[in-house]
Amino acid sequence: MAMGDIAFNLLIFFVILARAQDDSHLQWTPAKAENLEQAGHSMVSVVVDTENKLYLNGQEIGVGQLASAIEDQLGDAPPGERTVLLKVHQEAVALRFEPVIEAVSEAGGDLVHIVEDVKKASKK
Amino acid sequence: MAIRRNSRLLIEPPASATGDIAFNLIVFFLVCASVQPDSGRKQTIPKAEQTEQKDQQTDTISVELTRQAVFLNGDPVTPKDFGPRIKAKLDARSNPAEKVVVVKSKPDTPYNHWIAVTSQIEDAGGIVTLQLEEEQTVTVP
Repeated sequence: MAMGDIAFNLLIFFVILARAQDDSHLQWTPAKAENLEQAGHSMVSVVVDTENKLYLNGQEIGVGQLASAIEDQLGDAPPGERTVLLKVHQEAVALRFEPVIEAVSEAGGDLVHIVEDVKKASKK
Repeated sequence: MAIRRNSRLLIEPPASATGDIAFNLIVFFLVCASVQPDSGRKQTIPKAEQTEQKDQQTDTISVELTRQAVFLNGDPVTPKDFGPRIKAKLDARSNPAEKVVVVKSKPDTPYNHWIAVTSQIEDAGGIVTLQLEEEQTVTVP
């Protein structure tokens, strides 16, 4: 009985710990595009949510610190392993997302826009 | 003769099993949540650099985006015509350096419009370059 409870509590602890690094709690609607490919594994994820707030790996950040923070996260990763997932809410405006793209480019990240397939979206 | 009715119609599962049930449910939902992969579009944007404003070279393809419209080298284009027209322009150029397309967006251009246009440029073989306006602070004495 006690073993089950201990395992349960440990699991809850690690789930909460993982959520702090995760961006699944953020609200954003992906834009639609064609010819998509699998984004693969990435250490860095940048989100611009429905409220135009900017997050790096689930933590809110200012656009001024973004480039250096991405550089820190990517470290000395070789080309091909420097993927940065960019998740921008479909209604976000250029004034907000273009400096973010510029920061990813400045940090030497391989940019992948996370979007929804047009065909899948039209089926919904 | 009186018949004794069984009042215990519902049999509760043993309380000791609830922890195990919850544990298995959490594992199930965690696995479901982590299996869904992200799909997207790779985009190679040349590293940012500051350049002085120069006279626009006549042979550079430029695309201007507003909230709803697209302008190709200054001419308004419908979203349907944009793909074929940019492809025709890029196909006429053999040198990769000439396939650079300068994209300039108005501040209120929405992301879904921007990604639709830049996707078409890349699908046509173009290399997207962003032209951002520099913010300048002027101090009045």
